[in-house]
Amino acid sequence: MSAISTMKPAVSEAFARRDRAGRALADDAERIARACQEMAVLFRLGGKLIVFGNGGGGTDAAHIAVEFMHPVIVGKRALPAVALSNDAATVSGVGNDEGLAEVFAHQVRHWADTSDMALGISRDGRCANVLRGLETAKDQGLFTLALIGGDGGALARSPAVDHVLVAGSDDPAVVKEIHVTIYHLLWELVHVFFDQTGPLSGETPG
Amino acid sequence: MSVLEESPSDGIGGLYPFLYAGRADMDSALAEANRSTAEKAAEIVRLRRRMAEESGAELAECAEEMALRFTSGGRLFTFGNGGSSTDAQEVATTFLHPSHGRPLPALSLTSDVAVVTALSNDVGFEVVFARQLAALARPGDIAFGLSTSGGSCNVVQAFEEAAHRGMLTVGLAGDQGGRLAELDLLDYLFIVPSSSVHRIQEAQTTVYHVLWELTQHALDSISVPRGHRSG
Repeated sequence: MSAISTMKPAVSEAFARRDRAGRALADDAERIARACQEMAVLFRLGGKLIVFGNGGGGTDAAHIAVEFMHPVIVGKRALPAVALSNDAATVSGVGNDEGLAEVFAHQVRHWADTSDMALGISRDGRCANVLRGLETAKDQGLFTLALIGGDGGALARSPAVDHVLVAGSDDPAVVKEIHVTIYHLLWELVHVFFDQTGPLSGETPG
Repeated sequence: MSVLEESPSDGIGGLYPFLYAGRADMDSALAEANRSTAEKAAEIVRLRRRMAEESGAELAECAEEMALRFTSGGRLFTFGNGGSSTDAQEVATTFLHPSHGRPLPALSLTSDVAVVTALSNDVGFEVVFARQLAALARPGDIAFGLSTSGGSCNVVQAFEEAAHRGMLTVGLAGDQGGRLAELDLLDYLFIVPSSSVHRIQEAQTTVYHVLWELTQHALDSISVPRGHRSG
């Protein structure tokens, strides 16, 4: 097959393309930790994590929700999380009636409490419905976090987004791979900070 | 990003002093978190490089086999549990609705909640993927299963059904490969050599993205007329 001669360099090139973005992740350590500190407090206050994204970003939303709800590490407590993109009936229903840009905003509006956290995922930062979801969350006083890539698009510049974590690649596949590591770190550090927070015995939260 | 600019003392501990009062020094906790993140970022970079070295040639061969199946009208079926079910969905949508290149027929067997819960309730969770393959798959199709442990019984049963039906079988596992490594019937099994479920999932994400890329690359090189899709 004619493909064989070019397959080997294609493999090397594909893996090499992951390297730089993977190493650059360490530069975001402080940002990741700060977001996790806040999230730990909000979980302590009874908040839940609300995650959303489109296409492959929707699979990440589902992965994040199951990560928090059913930790792979035995003994870690379950923390409440829900992936809005999983509800195909509501997504297609709202999408059909009001347009795709409103699908997550609608769910945030009718689901969220003020101590909740909204996490939007967009591999290029250009998902209108993720932006609308985060804007609606911000309007309701929620913590907002965006996982994005590329140049960050409108999401990176939105005042509605408290925390922005950008994977340093224009390749959506590479962006996803960095996102997976980021949300594994988010989960892990939320638990680290969660274990360090909490009212002292005998004290009542003000 | 305003919150990011705040100093630790003005941050969340300032907003909710009761939560941190008398607790361990938050600055040292933050420093430890940063160190841990840098370590894990370096670990996954090393793990990807190792996969490239140890599995690169086999990934290229597997992608060529997959490309041959697609050009002959084959379809891709993906499956996994929990986090791996989201990977199964990612694989399916990557092939079916790619960022570039040609769309290829792919279906995740984890997406139909009605079928998954019906089979689990009426028969047993171990058959949820195997029964779907029995109903939907043809010889020449591709079965793609993910398991971080390699021990998921429904993934193992799906591969047994797939092999029985003459499908191309491609598995992703981690650590030592678990039961999937003991199965003699897999055409390809890519094992991520790590004991961390998180790092295994991250490296598996790269493996299936690279497989997709290489499949597209191989399709470009195969001089078979297009239009055999039967999706």
